Amino acid sequence: MAEKVTVEIVTELDIVTARKLGRKQAKQIGFNKVDQARITTAIGELAKNIFQYACEGKIIIERINKEGKKGVSITSIDQGPGIADVQKALEDGESYGAGLSSVKRLVDSMHIFSEEGKGTTVKVEKWLR
Amino acid sequence: MDINIQFREEGNLLLGLIEGEIDTFTAPILREELEKIELSNEISVELDLSKVSYMDSTGLGVFVAFYKRATKEDVNLKLVNLSTRLTRLFEITGLSELMDIERGGIGHASI
Amino acid sequence: MEQLKLDYKTILSNYIHNQNERNLYIGQNFIKRLIQKNVTPEEVISIHKQALEDIIEDLPEYTIHAYDFLIEVMVHFGLKLKEHQSLLMKQEELRIEMEVAAKIQNTLLETTIPNPEGLDIGMISVPLRKMNGDYVHFMHDHKRFLSIAVTDVVGKGVPAALCMSMVKYGLDTLEYANSNPSYVLEVLNQLIEKSVDDGMFVSMCYGRYDLEKDIFTWSSAGHEPPLYYHSRENAYYDLESKELLLGILPDVKYSQKDIKLNDNDFIILMTDGVTDFRNREEFDPRQYIKELALSCRHLNAQEMCDNIHKQLQVLHNYKLEDDFTIVIIKK
Repeated sequence: MAEKVTVEIVTELDIVTARKLGRKQAKQIGFNKVDQARITTAIGELAKNIFQYACEGKIIIERINKEGKKGVSITSIDQGPGIADVQKALEDGESYGAGLSSVKRLVDSMHIFSEEGKGTTVKVEKWLR
Repeated sequence: MDINIQFREEGNLLLGLIEGEIDTFTAPILREELEKIELSNEISVELDLSKVSYMDSTGLGVFVAFYKRATKEDVNLKLVNLSTRLTRLFEITGLSELMDIERGGIGHASI
Repeated sequence: MEQLKLDYKTILSNYIHNQNERNLYIGQNFIKRLIQKNVTPEEVISIHKQALEDIIEDLPEYTIHAYDFLIEVMVHFGLKLKEHQSLLMKQEELRIEMEVAAKIQNTLLETTIPNPEGLDIGMISVPLRKMNGDYVHFMHDHKRFLSIAVTDVVGKGVPAALCMSMVKYGLDTLEYANSNPSYVLEVLNQLIEKSVDDGMFVSMCYGRYDLEKDIFTWSSAGHEPPLYYHSRENAYYDLESKELLLGILPDVKYSQKDIKLNDNDFIILMTDGVTDFRNREEFDPRQYIKELALSCRHLNAQEMCDNIHKQLQVLHNYKLEDDFTIVIIKK
């Protein structure tokens, strides 16, 4: 399987496609069943966020390597309304933020870049233990 | 506790029939419905309150806001078929001197 | 983690071979260690699945699939549970903030009922929710004049409370006990009209009592009309005015009227929460209140207020639907 796959999220069906590709990738990297489920759930939540709040966007699933460690990164990019105050969104757990703060629990790291009116990029990573 | 408003157009006249109870919970719904109406000085609006069985001061607030917007847009607004109790509510608040209000014969509603 | 897995396998194996209470109890105590190691529910299921695969040879394929399914479900379940918990926490935070705000409001809007010679004053003001949309303001210069403002802001809760703070500030800055009621309303109207949005307004009845001449001068801005009981005639008068609520139009002029109070006369000032007889349409609220007050006019003003409140609570099955305020002044 390729190092990097991209899924455009336009319809609800695309959420399932993204999950399917993510699980395949996680399995090949060597994640166990529980982590596979976590990675897939994280992808599902990110894709759902795009579908619900931004209408259109994409999910990029990549294999990553650092200091001999293997892992997976998932990036969600949309051109939606964006989050005005990321910190507040995470703390308040409102709409977009609610999904995000709990996705954070499933992975090792999460970075959010957002600009109001221009869209949101969320990048999460999970490493093989 | 529900509120419902139905509109019907007769030439330049927009007729709205409001049905239900207007209180803290339903007032925001009514306010939203009234805000949706596009006002221009070519039309007149008449709201029929004969089916309003209860109204508190929050409800009054909705009509005051709508009246202010109508005045700004130079639109004639008239409230018609108010029960005795509703009429009294508009009277003691001084609003009947300000707004165009026509009472109806029925006195079943309460304020 | 490996040790945990091994231990779990042993405990599970023991239980499979012998389903006694002791083995079950050991299993329960194992939870402590899981929590210490931050093991999530989905991991527990995974550990269980692995242990079972080791203990039972040829575990059917469908059982393994079923466990994988459960892991999947638990991950999502954990996610949603967390979201739900954070909402609950948010709610709790809001509740605490609200309580603090209510306390501040109480301090801010605290009124002391004056106790002048020759006039008996009573008051009760009960908010429906934490914050009160009604407000009573007294002022007594300890000389000839005493003033009473009974105020009701449209709506309830926080928005009403915020607006009320402004009204209180207005009253505090402009008012002297001897000011003309009509003048007070005119100035307050300007202040409120400038500061609140459309659809927000305040009703107020403002009265000034001349303790030397026993004359009550009153003015009303869209407020529930006060009741005046004339003892010698044994009759009530509704102090009606059709003057506009505060905050709707700029430059509104108000008028004022005088009443001479004689012995045993009383005036009831109230907010619309008192006369709101929703679902009790068989009663005329004002008539009902008149009779209630008459039946207890032998009491002092404070007792009358409390008594009327109690009777109305009973009438409404302890479900009053609005902020409730009564002030009684009695000669």
